[in-house]
Amino acid sequence: MTIKLIKNFGKINSIVLLICIILLILEFVGHRHGEFKIEEFLFFPALFGYISCIIIFKVGVALRSIFMRDEDYYD
Amino acid sequence: MINTFPPGLIMFLGAFLIPFLPHLTRQIYMIFLVFLSALSLMNGFGTHLTINLLDYDFIIYHSDNLSFPFAIVFHIAAFITIIYGSHKIDWKENVAITSYAGAAIAALHAGDLFTLFVWWEATAFTSVFLILGGNNSRSFRAAFRYIVIQVGSGMLLLAGAIIFLYSNDHANFGKMSIDETSGLLIFLAFGIKAAFPFLNGWLQDTYPEASEVGTVALSSFTTKLAIYALARSFAGVDILIYIGALMTFFPIFFAVIENDLRRVLTYSLNNQLGFMVVAVGIGTELALNGAVAHAFAHIIYKGLLFMSMGAVLYRVGTCKASELGGLFNYMPITAVCSIIGAVSISAFPIFSGFVAKSLIMSSLGYEGLTFIYFMLLFASAGVLHHSGIKIPFFAFFAHNSGLKPKEAPINMIVAMIISSILCVAIGVFPSLFYQILPYDVSYQPYDFSHVLSQMQLLTFAAFAFICLWHFKIYPPELNSTVLNSDWFYRKMIPGVLENVIIGFKNLNSQFNIFFTKIFQNTQKFIDNLMYKNRVFDREAGFDTLIVVQVFGIVLLILIILQFSKF
Repeated sequence: MTIKLIKNFGKINSIVLLICIILLILEFVGHRHGEFKIEEFLFFPALFGYISCIIIFKVGVALRSIFMRDEDYYD
Repeated sequence: MINTFPPGLIMFLGAFLIPFLPHLTRQIYMIFLVFLSALSLMNGFGTHLTINLLDYDFIIYHSDNLSFPFAIVFHIAAFITIIYGSHKIDWKENVAITSYAGAAIAALHAGDLFTLFVWWEATAFTSVFLILGGNNSRSFRAAFRYIVIQVGSGMLLLAGAIIFLYSNDHANFGKMSIDETSGLLIFLAFGIKAAFPFLNGWLQDTYPEASEVGTVALSSFTTKLAIYALARSFAGVDILIYIGALMTFFPIFFAVIENDLRRVLTYSLNNQLGFMVVAVGIGTELALNGAVAHAFAHIIYKGLLFMSMGAVLYRVGTCKASELGGLFNYMPITAVCSIIGAVSISAFPIFSGFVAKSLIMSSLGYEGLTFIYFMLLFASAGVLHHSGIKIPFFAFFAHNSGLKPKEAPINMIVAMIISSILCVAIGVFPSLFYQILPYDVSYQPYDFSHVLSQMQLLTFAAFAFICLWHFKIYPPELNSTVLNSDWFYRKMIPGVLENVIIGFKNLNSQFNIFFTKIFQNTQKFIDNLMYKNRVFDREAGFDTLIVVQVFGIVLLILIILQFSKF
């Protein structure tokens, strides 16, 4: 199954996935505190990072139609 | 003599000898100037040189705990940039880089607003030659826009300085208030160079038009000089927190859509300036340390990223993501250096961005600024997206563009390796780095909780990008222009002016028609009166017509005056 995953998902992508899993497990090894109480929720930084990246991508794509012009727009 | 010679001045003056030297001697000479200038930093803190002119004391050389770290990193940046650009035979950029860096360093040591103004303008006039170094019609037009805006900033500073002097009997470069007119003008002057929201267009418009070396130099000095100026005069001004937060927030979306990778880096530069502006706005000792630390680390890693993209531009001739890809096999050292810059700016632990940004985030936590804290945390994920991943990924990986360039020239590689080593060294030895910061604050960035939180945030943000790319949701990069606040002065104002001119032209032609009709009718009337009724035995000519009309008007005025008496 692991080999299948690496084959489908790519070597580097699989390594990143493995690091993600390790980082989630580390959450249970020691106490993780934050600057604010809400950050201490389980997997908060992981979820925040993942969702932020998706939002940035979605908003970025949506903004294409508003702010994107031809390459020679100013010429 | 050397004790009273302000750092930077020797570089500024010495730059004028550069054209007379052969290529290799010139490179050694420029590095010698940087070292000579850096020697002055040994003088310690205090006011070292004041010149009385026209009954005013110009404080030419003042050094303290705030100017010192900036001066160090400006010298490092100058040194690295000179090495990076040493393959260029043309001396013009050499003169521009050395004098520009010298002017920026001298500005750091200005003790009064008028001395600051002189160097402020000097940085503008020297750096514009770097944009002209792009050597095409686009860069020429961009240089023109750049100098107008930079000089505009200088004019605001001068106006503020004059009003400040008038109302305070001194013009020391120190704490100011935005509630006073002078403070507000100076705040705006600094804000233009710090690329505040809506005042930022020049940054993305002009920097990417410079040559591969010019952009590296430009990224180091002007904006960080503005951050230094803000930290000196407006530390603790609340509005800076909100301005800075907006600066961190908006550029990330524009960076996502931008195709030109050097322009992506200018958006990223804007975003990073936002972190510093927030820290200046908080104004506590920890936050100001954070602003200075971030500026210091940022100059090095941002320079590194610009250098890597400059190397790509130099070898391939383009920096557009849509035309790049798969260069890792051909430019592996450049790629590795770019990745080091990318992980540094993303603030991965053991790299410089982490130890610098942590100070700012912690100071936000201590001040209880929850909303701003999460905005900056969101922006941190954005930094990873556009600078941490987009830059190295689209240039060196993504897809095979078919390009097979040579590795960057040796001088570029040396410069990039020096920057890479500094990025890692700052991250690994934060306590040494913190010693040069303005305030003595004990801070430990490396604890289990902090490292784990940061790693989770960044790794999962990276994983999100991987998913988007792998499942082909991420759209392809397109050749395009992204509208920014420079649109107001490049399109809107010229458009409005064009319409106003057309309007005036139409109005003018309407007036012409109107008066021609009056003229013709008067002519007919006089013809009828004089010719048809045989007053004169000839037609009324043009001169007769004018005389009659003038008399008519005079008569009308006299009648009106006569009636107005009653």
